[in-house]
Amino acid sequence: MTDTTPSVTPPKTRHTALVWMTSQSPIVVTVLALVLGFFVGAIIIITTTPAVLDAWRGLFHSWGAPGHAIKVTLDNVGAAYRSMFTGSVFDPSQLWHSITTGKGFDASLTPISETLTYATPLIIVSTGVGIAFQTGIFNIGANGQAVLGGIAGGVAGSMLHMPMILHLPVTLIAGIAGGMVCGVIPGVLKAFTGAHEVIVTIMLNYVVYAFLLFAVLSTAFQRPGQSNDISRTMDPSAQLPPLFGSTSGLRVSYGIFIALAVVLFAWWFLDRSSIGFDFRVTGANPSAARASGISSRTVIVLVFLVSGGLAGLAGVVQAASTTHYVDGGFLIGNAGIGFTAITIALLGRNRPMGILLSSLLFAALGVGGRTMQAATGIPLDLATVIQSIVVLFVATPVLVKEIFRLRAAKTQAVQLATQGWGS
Amino acid sequence: MGSIRRLGTVLGAASLVLGTLTVSVAATTVSASAATKFKACVVTDTGGINDKSFNASAWAGAQAAAKQDKNIVPSYLSSTSSTDYAPNIKTFEGEGCGIIVTVGFLMDASTAAAGNADLTQKFAIVDDAPVTKSKNVLALQYETDQGGFLGGILAAGMSKTGTVATYGGENFSSVTLYMNGFVAGVRYYDKKYNAKVKVLGWKPAKGACSLAACNGKGTFVGNFTDQTAGKTITTGDFSAGADIVFPVAGSVGFGSVAAAQQAGAGHSIMWVDSNGCVSDATDCKWFVGTVAKGVQPSVEAAVLAAAKGTFKGGTYVGTLANNGTQLEYGGIKVPSKLKSKIATAKAGIIAGTISVNPNKYPIG
Repeated sequence: MTDTTPSVTPPKTRHTALVWMTSQSPIVVTVLALVLGFFVGAIIIITTTPAVLDAWRGLFHSWGAPGHAIKVTLDNVGAAYRSMFTGSVFDPSQLWHSITTGKGFDASLTPISETLTYATPLIIVSTGVGIAFQTGIFNIGANGQAVLGGIAGGVAGSMLHMPMILHLPVTLIAGIAGGMVCGVIPGVLKAFTGAHEVIVTIMLNYVVYAFLLFAVLSTAFQRPGQSNDISRTMDPSAQLPPLFGSTSGLRVSYGIFIALAVVLFAWWFLDRSSIGFDFRVTGANPSAARASGISSRTVIVLVFLVSGGLAGLAGVVQAASTTHYVDGGFLIGNAGIGFTAITIALLGRNRPMGILLSSLLFAALGVGGRTMQAATGIPLDLATVIQSIVVLFVATPVLVKEIFRLRAAKTQAVQLATQGWGS
Repeated sequence: MGSIRRLGTVLGAASLVLGTLTVSVAATTVSASAATKFKACVVTDTGGINDKSFNASAWAGAQAAAKQDKNIVPSYLSSTSSTDYAPNIKTFEGEGCGIIVTVGFLMDASTAAAGNADLTQKFAIVDDAPVTKSKNVLALQYETDQGGFLGGILAAGMSKTGTVATYGGENFSSVTLYMNGFVAGVRYYDKKYNAKVKVLGWKPAKGACSLAACNGKGTFVGNFTDQTAGKTITTGDFSAGADIVFPVAGSVGFGSVAAAQQAGAGHSIMWVDSNGCVSDATDCKWFVGTVAKGVQPSVEAAVLAAAKGTFKGGTYVGTLANNGTQLEYGGIKVPSKLKSKIATAKAGIIAGTISVNPNKYPIG
């Protein structure tokens, strides 16, 4: 038998996993951006921790010095990231203690409970911002919308009195309505006068902050017997109860289910509903949308209602699940979830699942950063630095590609999350 | 094979970082020495530990305690908003802190809730008259109207124009108590030394002030951060004829210093909380004095007591007698005659013969 068929090279399928891992797919870019974020964070820890710097300064003092310096470096960086993890996910030694003794499960669950508590309003507000981005609308006013939602929910929760089965829904709906009111103004202005939504939404934030101070200092809403800027406490019937009961000390509340429902709703809305389809078409190509008979005015007003309503819901969930009141600093300054939402939506590529995951990541970094500062003294701001670097690299995939020498993705290049100014 | 090489680059870089991460996460045993240490943990309010005011003082108190007792390890967490209070306290409970010091009465509810949930955890809360007293919470309070009273005498005695002014950050009793004492001091000076010094910025309500409530009408910035507003108010006071201004507004007071610099010599500022010539030494020549609040020594004492095991819940009231509040002189020379007048008043307040209630004196 002389079978002279030349050996056929098998089709290059066996490397698909490798190819995917080294390709410029969005998930790979995001994960690598995370790696870079932690890498830069480690450099910052090394250059700002006196103990580490001292160890490197003594590099040439003795033969053992280089080894010592490396050990001190790894110890410090390790301790920082370890406490970040144990503070936001779980602490293995604590969990082992809980399992072996059958006690202290609260302490084991506290980190993840805190992360979920922190993530709950973030998920909701970021989903709203993401939906707007997908429609080509920049909602920079999500924070003001969330604050107004919190005020409306706070008023409904503290000044109306009814059984929980009615009170909680009324409170949540009041919050949504508050966010919608604040959202529809820039929507209508853009739809009918062409006023740019970025300007209008940014400026409305300050209007709402001023209104917040007015509201919490007004006799009707201010906490009786107090002269400072703090509102009445919401009735227990208007509060989102803790998931594990009020005696457990775990703060995670039923709000997390609202957040998950919002993610599910957003997925259905964008991918399955016809209005969502109109939204996406308008975002992808406004001219084409207009040509195919989609009313851009209706879409703009609707998207602001949806986005503002979700932001308002986030505000009321925050108030109803954690503080149970609003004060003059409610969601203002560093606590401005509406601004964090913009970066989260960007990181999650405006997709509901992506936003869910990035919210959890941001929450874990924030909560873990707190534990890191408490345990090692490295400031919480490091968590913010890592968050920012991750977003920076996600926004510039070219940079990640160059650093890790990735091949171009076979599919289309990473789509820019948003369109340019003035679109 | 190119892809494998690329993968190598990726994994190499990734493992550098993640390796450190996972290895260290796996090795979760906390070093034994840390376990026997006594942790003194400070939760600051939104001002943060660099506010050169009461948050800074509380942190300085914890650090001072650590200097005295090498077994104490201080650490802090800053609150960025009121939503951070509860989680910050919770984080420190998880860290096994020997004492948790919460700074500011805004944390009253969070501290009380945490204190009642865990009766073995020791707390100290700065500047708070607690709504409900707990066995394991020590409330640190300061009768700053006593210090403010001496500040009022100093300002009245130093004023060339016969008008002095004050303003507050927000209408909190912990703020207005200072202003109330300041007004009382000026009125006392007017009555006793037959002067006619006026005060702008605070009109006390009828009745006496207490740590829990001190009402009246006055000028307020609305926050403790807006220095521009502080400058505007102070410049307004200067053009209304005042030459000494007493801002009770934390870092907003830097705006007043800027206004004094702009207005030039003859204008000065009375600093608040912690000695301005220490916390802001470069501007010392603009400070006529400081009405200080003894946050640092009282926090230090609470931490040391907790470390020794002698800690007791309840209330601590800082007065002129125990240096819980006092008047410190600044970079401007004060005549010794005026100093002795102030010393007389101080002795009178401590002895209880001089009232710090402004309504006891006629308006000058």
